[in-house]
Amino acid sequence: MDKIIEVTGLKKAYGSVQAVRGLDFYVERGKLFAFLGPNGAGKSTTIDILCTILKPDGGEVLVDGHRLGHEDAGIRSAIGVVFQDHLLDPLLSVEENIRTRAGLYHMAGKQLNDAVKHAAAAADVTEFMRRPYGKLSGGQKRRADIARALINTPQVLFLDEPTTGLDPQTRKSVWESIRTLQQTTGLTVFLTTHYMEEAAEADYVIVIDHGDIAARGTPTELKASYASDQLRLAASNDHALRALLEDRGLAYTCAAGSVVVKISDTMDALEILALVKGHIKGFEVLSGTMDDAFIGITGREIRE
Amino acid sequence: MKALFIRNLKVYFRDKASVFFSLLAVLIIFMLYLLFLGDMWISNLPDLPGVRAMMDSWIIAGLLAVTSITTVMGAFGTMVDDRAHKIIKDFDAAPISKGKIVAGYELSSFVIGVIMSLLMLVIGELYIVSRGGAWLTPTALLTVLGLILLSALCNTALVSFVVSFFRSQNAFSTASSLLGTLVGFMTGIYMPVGMMPSAVQLIIKVFPVSHAALLLRQTMMAAPMAQVYAGAPAAMQQAFEQEMGVVFHLGGQPMSVATSLAILMGTAVVFYGLSILNFSRKRR
Repeated sequence: MDKIIEVTGLKKAYGSVQAVRGLDFYVERGKLFAFLGPNGAGKSTTIDILCTILKPDGGEVLVDGHRLGHEDAGIRSAIGVVFQDHLLDPLLSVEENIRTRAGLYHMAGKQLNDAVKHAAAAADVTEFMRRPYGKLSGGQKRRADIARALINTPQVLFLDEPTTGLDPQTRKSVWESIRTLQQTTGLTVFLTTHYMEEAAEADYVIVIDHGDIAARGTPTELKASYASDQLRLAASNDHALRALLEDRGLAYTCAAGSVVVKISDTMDALEILALVKGHIKGFEVLSGTMDDAFIGITGREIRE
Repeated sequence: MKALFIRNLKVYFRDKASVFFSLLAVLIIFMLYLLFLGDMWISNLPDLPGVRAMMDSWIIAGLLAVTSITTVMGAFGTMVDDRAHKIIKDFDAAPISKGKIVAGYELSSFVIGVIMSLLMLVIGELYIVSRGGAWLTPTALLTVLGLILLSALCNTALVSFVVSFFRSQNAFSTASSLLGTLVGFMTGIYMPVGMMPSAVQLIIKVFPVSHAALLLRQTMMAAPMAQVYAGAPAAMQQAFEQEMGVVFHLGGQPMSVATSLAILMGTAVVFYGLSILNFSRKRR
């Protein structure tokens, strides 16, 4: 397995607040890796450290073979970063922005022109290259940010909450661009998010909470181990239904007018349905979602 | 660094409001001169031919000194904004050293100071000539150009040191308006040096920007003064020079051109060094 990022024992505190308390993880080359966690969990701190902007208090970090703290310039050349805030110059056009940032990577002349063209095409910003960055919509700004991050054809693309604050449709299209980019170019993508449906699309997910890793795995693994499937029953005879379930020792909860029974496998629903079919007028079988997994992991819903 | 330098220039000149505000102090001084300060001083002088042109040269020389520092200060606003808006993170994550990032801000501020001073020189000369004065002689022009460079250099070092302490935009804009308000006094424009109490005179005489003003006045006023005081006793001209800050006296002795040049260059070197120290101290 080719590990492009390796982190061991990463620690960072701000005063007495422990932002990150000893993280160990690695990222496989070419994969889409998601860091899922509520605000204040330590996601941005971790990204800032990996991008060489913030010095960790302890731990080892290897990015594309470069050791953090010793070969920072090597790391910087190998990465592209999309920060949570929009950090391009509002009064300059998208093209001017990308060109000036390209200059930071020791590019000039034809190489620079080609890099700008390539990055613009990859992030799909060619249409509004000449418009001032400050006048763009949220989604367009985000695309411009991504184009800027791709200017040095990085090995790893870091994105800190790339879709936060965008409307659902734009969020989806930005997300799809990132996914396409990773799949077509083999770029490693490391992103943080607090949207479950995005984490569910990643190749590998680490759930981070209070600066610690709470769970890790592929979305399927996480769902399998932390989310349970559900059988929702719409009762025709509520009283009889409950009595029957209690009789059989099946735990249930009541939600939104229906009775919910947790089941370990969707197939188990058949048995229960056979038992209660005289007392229900309808049913639903739901497989576990990332939301359920998250609640299963942290014991609460995600803080927005 | 070249990329950052060009980017800083664009960011400064694109923001019309910030260009305007960095020239605000200059505009206010000029308006006051046009409205009444000019007439007031001229009425205090003997009614000799060429007095008007001499005073016009005096005010333009002072304005050039002021333009240099206020526009350099305005240009450094980009640096403070970048820190406040975290744009600096975007540079920090790129393979360019912090020293080069700072050097990019300094170089662009210096160049902005020079460009704006040149623009001011052109406008000033047009103004002087339009009111009946003469163009600068080629030698005087070259000297003025040299002084513009030196003054921008000195001001870049000074402002860079001051800005190295600021993290917030509020602190910076307060300092900018303070500078804009005080600089007219500190260079002896609102009120000629000779009219100030001696303690204030001393402050003016150690303020590097007033030495830029002094040297610019000496250069730009040489020809008009020669004309005005052609038939007058030397003591009369000397009194005028001392009163209006064309020559500074310290301990009864006139300060030489070399002293003023040394003060400007010394300031540039010392404050540049101090600002480098301060910028590196801030690094985690």
